[in-house]
Amino acid sequence: MSLLNFLVRRIIYSVFVLLGLSIVIFLIARVMPGDPARMAVGARAPQWVVDRLREQMHLNQPLVVQYGYWLSDAVRGDFGLSLITQRPVTTDIKEFLPASLELVFFSGLLSAVGGIGLGIVSARYKDTWIDNVVRVFSYFGIVTPSFVFAILFILLFGFTLNWLPIIGRVHEQTAVPPLVTGAITVDALLAGQFGTFFDALRHLLLPAISLAMGSIAQEARITRSSMADNLSKDYIASARALGIPERVVMGRFLLKPSLIPTVSILGLDIASTLSVAFLVELIFNWPGLARYGMNAMLHKDLNAISAVILVLGAAFVTVNIIVDIIVAQLDPRIRLSATRSA
Amino acid sequence: MRGKTFTAFAVMILVSLLLTQCTPTAAPPAAPTQAPAVAAAPTQAPIATTAPAAQKRVLRITFSWPDRIDPAVGNDYAGSTSLANLYDTLIFPNAKGGVDPWLAESWDVSQDGLTYTFHLRQGVKFHDGSLLKASDVVYSYDRLKAIGEGFAYLVTAGVEGVKAVDDATVEFKLSNATALFLPSLVRLYVASEALIRQNTKAEGPYGTDGDFGKEWLQTHDAGTGPYMVREFPLEQYLLMDKNTDWWGEFHPNAPDEVRFIGTTEAVTIRSLMQNKELEISDQWQSFEAYQALEKLDGVKIAPLQSLSSFYYMINNKKPPTDDVHCRRAIDYAFDYDAAVGLEWPGTRQMVGPVPAALAGHDPNVFTFKRDLDKAKAELALCKYANDIANYPIKVQWVAEVPDEEKWALLFQANMAEVGLKAEITKAPWLSLVENTSKLETSPSIATIYVSSDLPEAGLMLKQRYHSSTTGTWQQVEWLQDPQLDAAIDDALATLDDQERFAKYAKIQAELVDRAVSLWIYDQVEKHAYRTCVDWPAARGETSAIMGYQEYAAHIGVDCQ
Repeated sequence: MSLLNFLVRRIIYSVFVLLGLSIVIFLIARVMPGDPARMAVGARAPQWVVDRLREQMHLNQPLVVQYGYWLSDAVRGDFGLSLITQRPVTTDIKEFLPASLELVFFSGLLSAVGGIGLGIVSARYKDTWIDNVVRVFSYFGIVTPSFVFAILFILLFGFTLNWLPIIGRVHEQTAVPPLVTGAITVDALLAGQFGTFFDALRHLLLPAISLAMGSIAQEARITRSSMADNLSKDYIASARALGIPERVVMGRFLLKPSLIPTVSILGLDIASTLSVAFLVELIFNWPGLARYGMNAMLHKDLNAISAVILVLGAAFVTVNIIVDIIVAQLDPRIRLSATRSA
Repeated sequence: MRGKTFTAFAVMILVSLLLTQCTPTAAPPAAPTQAPAVAAAPTQAPIATTAPAAQKRVLRITFSWPDRIDPAVGNDYAGSTSLANLYDTLIFPNAKGGVDPWLAESWDVSQDGLTYTFHLRQGVKFHDGSLLKASDVVYSYDRLKAIGEGFAYLVTAGVEGVKAVDDATVEFKLSNATALFLPSLVRLYVASEALIRQNTKAEGPYGTDGDFGKEWLQTHDAGTGPYMVREFPLEQYLLMDKNTDWWGEFHPNAPDEVRFIGTTEAVTIRSLMQNKELEISDQWQSFEAYQALEKLDGVKIAPLQSLSSFYYMINNKKPPTDDVHCRRAIDYAFDYDAAVGLEWPGTRQMVGPVPAALAGHDPNVFTFKRDLDKAKAELALCKYANDIANYPIKVQWVAEVPDEEKWALLFQANMAEVGLKAEITKAPWLSLVENTSKLETSPSIATIYVSSDLPEAGLMLKQRYHSSTTGTWQQVEWLQDPQLDAAIDDALATLDDQERFAKYAKIQAELVDRAVSLWIYDQVEKHAYRTCVDWPAARGETSAIMGYQEYAAHIGVDCQ
């Protein structure tokens, strides 16, 4: 019951957050320089063509009226026509979002496994050379932007070694399974095309690792410091004094509470990856939502900009809710506090 | 539990790495014939249906995206090239700057130059198998005119009406004679009326024509051209198959499959070239990137003739550049040799106001050379000479083209030598377009590349210096001179080549005399390409019109 209350409350808050976000992004998109109608039809199109499009997009109306039109369509799932692709933005999002989600999911998986794993190793071998190596790696990972990793990986694994593909989602001669979810790895498994699954996985590796590097580094540091803090707590000393094996102490008593800050940050990292992936998507020619959103901004594609930001905002809010639930499950104090306050 | 996760992850990575050298699941073999349904099949879910690459000749080219393949919408580099490969036109541009018969086997022109009658080639099939008729030409024209985008401004200018005389004859009536009409038809891509109507949405901004098939034509084609769309996942690539029913003649090694890839990332291009996964690169690489590409085994750089030039557009309405002597001082002070030296070998300084590759360009027009004495002398005659420090020249260069900063800095240094103060700022393209739309916000100088859509000097003169383009990024000079407009219009209405070119020459001389711009260099369009590709454009054997250099039917691919 308390969880349900919590969820309902968060969802109601989220609606207001998204509404506020939509107003802000709607206004920002419209104060950017350039006439979107002129940009859509080209510099050499006659003025009447521009005027027709402006009329069609209600651009001659006051901003409040424009927002009213946009909002009434948006709540019905209609985000209007994209000026770049000249088809409904909803169609574009359906096509590009799965590719991004697939990439972000694998990147998140790598972040979780790699970051927490390195953090544990670092804490376990605290102040040894292993800890120092992980520390250096973490600093390098945190300060290096993901696109730099993307370029380095392409040069190493694509250019020099030619081990891994550097472009697209599958090899150009690979049979793509019928799209059900839009995520090729999942669709390939559903269709029983294991060759395609592994090919898609190979294509995912470099972009996913490029995106995950910063997050792995960050999670490793947070996990390590959180575990190091908890290591000096009395209950750990008690557990050791009782002769409980070190493996159990580390895994059961130390790791679980230490993961709370890691999970919180990991959730935010995964959500933000969705929006900051545009350079990586660009470099690997990955047809994702972030790249689409970036192109929309460069071409002042108003409907696409608003819709993409809203989708990203919704993803952020959703991930936050999920993270809160996980954290509550990890820490009984938070769970109990939620129950009491409910 | 943790151990299991690690193990699963490690196995997954290991298996993936082991598979790196394995052949992925190949698509099933090709259908025995070019089924009509191929062109009409939805491309939302890309499903490969052809044989493995080993048996095929494949041509892969990178482009700057997006690629718009609707014949009434596309007009940039990727779009123009796609359209040229997917659709046929009534005439075809040749390497000499003229046009050859194409879908039209011949044509007649009336005495007054106002009626053009085209006789169509018989037996030409659209990609859905239906036969081309004159009504399809009329529909394609009407659709282009109604939508008004793409190359409509070029094709529909001065055309009063188009009608099908019979299934094999189409007639164009002009409101006034113009030399641009015939060459402009290389931009009228002929599409199947029936196929478009079948795929038109009832709702749309074009009245009874609904959306005019615009949504469908974003990812499909309705042409007769040598290649046809197999799949087009937007934001990724355009994949085209050879149209074996095409009426024209293919290069003996013409590709079976053409893939236009939407990326211009230097490191990606270089890796693809190195791995033999790319045959021709885009033209947007940096100087250093081309140098690196040239070092790869089996890769050359082709400097292609282009119809584009690099201009410093001087505002003729704002002080201090509203004074002709100040403008001449600028033109004399600039170091053209150094500017050209910053570009790829083979680049040449512009001679006059239009690119040298255009028909009607005057090679004998006066050309400014760096001469500091003359620059100082002209500056002394400028009405702002005594107070020149208070009139800085505000130069805006395009932020998206980082190389432009080199020329901006060179300009600043050159002007300082004669006492002119240049303030250089970079502006995002959208801001620059916005700034140049009003005289008040226009900078003293904007640095912009301008390309001509046709190989005719008259078109460039019109788009650069006619009053109809003031307030657009194509003309930051703000000339607004009725006499000049009349001279350009008069020249364009002159059908006799010799007479028309003489008029162009006079206009070019006047523009140079007034030093309305700083003409820097004719752009050389650079592409890296694999030497196993027999590419006529690299030998200068194709038209320089945008889109026809990568005409796949005339390109041979003999790569392993």
